[in-house]
Amino acid sequence: MMTKKIFTPLLVFSFSLLFLLTACSTDMNDAAVTAVETYVQALADKNADQMIAASCAAWEETAQLELDAFVGVETRVENMACEAAGTEGVYTLVTCTGEIVATYGAEDRDFPLNASAFKVKEEGGEMRVCGR
Amino acid sequence: MGGIYFMTFLQILIFALVALLAGIVTQPQFRRWLLMAGSVLAIYWMQPSMPIRYLDFWLPTLALALTVGAWYVTRPKTGEVQDGDQRENVQAGMILVGVVLLVAGLRYFGPVCCLTPTRPPQMLSVMVALGIMVGIGWGLGKGKAAWVWNGVSVLLIGMLIVLKTPAFAQAISAGLRGLAGQQTDLATAFDIRWLGFSYLAFRLVHVLKDAGAGRVPVLPLDEFVTYALFFPAYTAGPIDRVQRFVGDLKKPFQVGERWFPAGQRIAMGVFKKFALADGLALIALNDTNAAQILSPGWGWVVLYAYALRIYFDFSGYTDIAIGLGMLAGVKLPENFDAPYLKPNLTAFWNSWHMTLAQWFRAYYFNPLTRTLRGRKLPIPAVIFLTQVTTMILIGLWHGVTWNFLIWGAWHGVGLFVHNRWSEAFRARYAAWEGSPRVKAVLNGAATVFTFHFVTLGWVWFALSQPGLAWDVLRKLAGG
Repeated sequence: MMTKKIFTPLLVFSFSLLFLLTACSTDMNDAAVTAVETYVQALADKNADQMIAASCAAWEETAQLELDAFVGVETRVENMACEAAGTEGVYTLVTCTGEIVATYGAEDRDFPLNASAFKVKEEGGEMRVCGR
Repeated sequence: MGGIYFMTFLQILIFALVALLAGIVTQPQFRRWLLMAGSVLAIYWMQPSMPIRYLDFWLPTLALALTVGAWYVTRPKTGEVQDGDQRENVQAGMILVGVVLLVAGLRYFGPVCCLTPTRPPQMLSVMVALGIMVGIGWGLGKGKAAWVWNGVSVLLIGMLIVLKTPAFAQAISAGLRGLAGQQTDLATAFDIRWLGFSYLAFRLVHVLKDAGAGRVPVLPLDEFVTYALFFPAYTAGPIDRVQRFVGDLKKPFQVGERWFPAGQRIAMGVFKKFALADGLALIALNDTNAAQILSPGWGWVVLYAYALRIYFDFSGYTDIAIGLGMLAGVKLPENFDAPYLKPNLTAFWNSWHMTLAQWFRAYYFNPLTRTLRGRKLPIPAVIFLTQVTTMILIGLWHGVTWNFLIWGAWHGVGLFVHNRWSEAFRARYAAWEGSPRVKAVLNGAATVFTFHFVTLGWVWFALSQPGLAWDVLRKLAGG
């Protein structure tokens, strides 16, 4: 009986909280920045699945090619800082500073992230990277 | 065909703490709920990422739904269930729904997101899916006809076959990609990596079959779910029997008397898996180094490395699973008993992946043997058919490919030959009982022979193509 007294209001509270959460929306620009940071980190980690999850359907194949470029080398992200930089049609533009550092043998080579802006748009309920 | 997907070191540590906590909790109901909720959270956490959107959330959810569905169709009609048990089941069900919604809800908590490798889907789609699953289960549960029980078993085996067959898996991947709005032409047969499903399917089929035969007592939802999804054994066994497992859950338990042997077992498993197996993996036979074998000597080195690696990998995992189970008060069955030290193939298969062999023996080998004997076939023919087909099925359970089929047939024929050899030389063996030295020499030779028979069989298991496997065998023979 005591358990039931606790359970029912706890359940009602939990569901109410969850409904409130579904109504909350994250700032689009923040979501776009997060998508790009996730994409870049996944590229450095060579995590194909995370990259695909952060990519638009049309960009998936290119994302795989970007990953293939780093096969066999150690990579890491350094000093990454991204911010929204306006829009271009349906896309939110995100620019980043910092670099991906790839180690070829004993030599490090930097791939700056500010070479081009990332294009991000909402697809399938998530902000995803659709190109550069 | 690499090692078993397994827990990370961090996951082992967290699971040990959860198991220890479950072992300390003395209130039986709370202990069962903790193990149940912990197991459900674990299957989300351990699920590897996949290139199909949200599948790393949906597959564990489907695993949970299948488990609850199997429980629902095996439970007695409402009138036969006590009110108290009904209340406990409802509470357990609420906890399960709460855990799923909690995992899904983490998508809204950026800093701590997520338990799954990628962000879970939108909450609305999760709640709709849960509603559909409950509705389907409710409809199935209305009818307790045998077809429902058998139908669920057939569904589980069918799903296993589809997921293990590359062509079907690729087609399913393409379909799921289409549903997720992704490019379907990028689908591959390796996209769907459903952690632990092979073992889950076999646990559920075991329960459905035994429940149909009246060998399983009425189980509350929390015990059933904990049995099916028990986090130490979820990814790679052992495949326990539900009757034995729930007996342990019900026993009063004090972790104090078990923490040292459990810790020893976990430590041994960690050493075998992360030190020995992962070290041997650097040179163990695989598709890449198979093509680079230039001498028989090096060929044998990489093959021996594979034989040892797969043993340390699998038995190390089992040690960790058994140790974690001990902390939580569940004594999981052993899965290995020094298999490479056995003098014949029959003894090997009574000591390698024992719980899988026992499952096939109970639900395929014995029923088939009874059926064939009923048809008055010659005994050798019955033995041949039952042993070879059982081993082929065990091979195909790993994957529906030519290599796994050949590996299964290799062992099936080997078992048959051993059976006939034993029969032919029974009298001579009896005569040697009085000569310990002769017996020891013969046992030693037999053990070496058996080890090499099994090791040569691993060539088919380790490689992905029959042609590549054949090339390696030729190189081993000096060709």
